[in-house]
Amino acid sequence: MTSKGGRVFLTALLVAGAIRGALTIRRYARYGVVGDSMAPTLLPGDFLVVDLRVASTHPGDIVLAVDPREPGRVIVKRVASLDGDTVTLRGDNPAASTDSRHFGPVPASQVTGRVVLCYWPWPRRRVFRR
Amino acid sequence: MTLLDRILRPSQVAHAHCDGPCGVYDPASARIAAEAVLSMAKKLKDISGDDLAAENTKGRYIAIKEEQAQIAKDELLILWTDYFKPPHLEQYPDLHDTFWKAAKLCSQNKVEVNVEAAEELMAAVENVHNIFWATKGREIPFYRAG
Repeated sequence: MTSKGGRVFLTALLVAGAIRGALTIRRYARYGVVGDSMAPTLLPGDFLVVDLRVASTHPGDIVLAVDPREPGRVIVKRVASLDGDTVTLRGDNPAASTDSRHFGPVPASQVTGRVVLCYWPWPRRRVFRR
Repeated sequence: MTLLDRILRPSQVAHAHCDGPCGVYDPASARIAAEAVLSMAKKLKDISGDDLAAENTKGRYIAIKEEQAQIAKDELLILWTDYFKPPHLEQYPDLHDTFWKAAKLCSQNKVEVNVEAAEELMAAVENVHNIFWATKGREIPFYRAG
């Protein structure tokens, strides 16, 4: 790669990579799981990558939402159903979950991210596809 | 491993949360107390004799019946005021009436020796049992120990 064209190509690739990296930083965030309500899918101590760009949610998605009863807190639950602008959230472990059964459906605007993968502990690594 | 764990650890937490002490609510405690009330009412009805031994037994059964009726009421009130939440009320509009009547039956069983009222209390507890487990999406059959 000594030709001029090659250098331009490499530079373009680097710039694209940098832009992509910058976007990636904003788009994805890492979260640690606290609590048992999503067991066995998510366990306390699981580390997650969350897609913060949620244009829409679908039933079955595992999402982050603002706790309707404690706005400073982020909760992780599964979307049970959608009804207009509200989302019904459930824990996968209903016996140990406080969710929409207790606090009712939450506004879709309060869903802040979708869990895309669990990366740690390594044996529990898993991609959550739609 | 711990160093790796520290490097990988995210700075933010997501709560897969549960209001403590969740998972410990169970209408079974009300059922056990109500069953004791029913058992004592039946036994009281069958006691014969008016000697000291019979009087003593009666006194003990009455004491247990009243104590267990109060326990049944306490347990029902815990479910009513702590476990059940507004969305449940939407699902079961007669929830308040159900608990109010069940609590009244506890009082009646405390005051009277009434097998019929004790059976009614058991039926009320069974009703609460069914509603409770339905809200948890679980099918738990109602049973009696006695």
